[in-house]
Amino acid sequence: MILPYLAAVLLALATAYSAVVSFRQKPEGESARPSWIFPGRTNRPTRIFVGIAMLILVIGLGMRFAANSRNSAPRSFRFLIPEGYRGWVRVEFEIPGAPALPAERGQTVIKIPPPGLLRTSSPEQYGWARDTYVFYSSAGLRPIPDSGPARLIWGKINGEETGPSGKRKYEEFFVGNEQQYKDQIDQPKPKDSSWDSHSPVAIP
Amino acid sequence: MLPFVLYFVTAVVTGFHVYTLLSFAVYGVPVNLLELLSLVGSFCLLIAAYVSLFRPHAAARWALLACLVMWSFYAPAIAKIVRTRWAKPAAVSQFMGATVGATSKHLFIMG
Repeated sequence: MILPYLAAVLLALATAYSAVVSFRQKPEGESARPSWIFPGRTNRPTRIFVGIAMLILVIGLGMRFAANSRNSAPRSFRFLIPEGYRGWVRVEFEIPGAPALPAERGQTVIKIPPPGLLRTSSPEQYGWARDTYVFYSSAGLRPIPDSGPARLIWGKINGEETGPSGKRKYEEFFVGNEQQYKDQIDQPKPKDSSWDSHSPVAIP
Repeated sequence: MLPFVLYFVTAVVTGFHVYTLLSFAVYGVPVNLLELLSLVGSFCLLIAAYVSLFRPHAAARWALLACLVMWSFYAPAIAKIVRTRWAKPAAVSQFMGATVGATSKHLFIMG
């Protein structure tokens, strides 16, 4: 928390110092002795040493930052939904004993079973990522549009709730067309343990 | 070595600060152009730090330019922080008090 204040103070100091040196007449002749405002030139070996040290530091910091951003970048989800499924889909994360989510081509695969609820021991991933949705059946995979006029994915939310079975992190979204989604908004969603006996919402 | 140390430390601290702000882009925070400009300023200040070892006067001009570029981000940010700190928050609810024998009432001021 001190970093922004430290940065502002240092910036003020550097600005003041560089302004004084820039606008002050450079001393000539006898009075051109090194002072704190106009320090003398450093010798060649020092310049070379400092130059190399700076180069190593900048490259090192750059590589570290690049590695950090690569590690912290969230992996997107690929939701596999049963063909013809209409209704709410719910994924519960960090459930002890539940299977972990597999990864495929840089994406975490979430295969939703026919009841629409999946429990996994994997943690939820936060951040900016582009999730993809596909219907699966014995005939293969078919992409689900999540935008545009033919959109079938609605109301995606994630959160954390405390219930009789403890704290649960979850992600939910609705699969269906716009009218089906609007019709479902007013109806209560199945929650927590009640989802076990839940079957896909019957939608005309 | 004073200008070198001053420019170098400032460049590293401001650069790291702006980098942390830019890294929030991972979480969907939109990138501010002024942040990018400030990062460029930090890099220029780093170059000025090195130049100050053999051409202190030229480095000072270069550093001043870099600092001014960085202020384009820091000045509005500081102004906003100061405004927020000194601003008097608007009352959303005001307690009217209770009279003897009556129930307490609250006046809600919306907007």
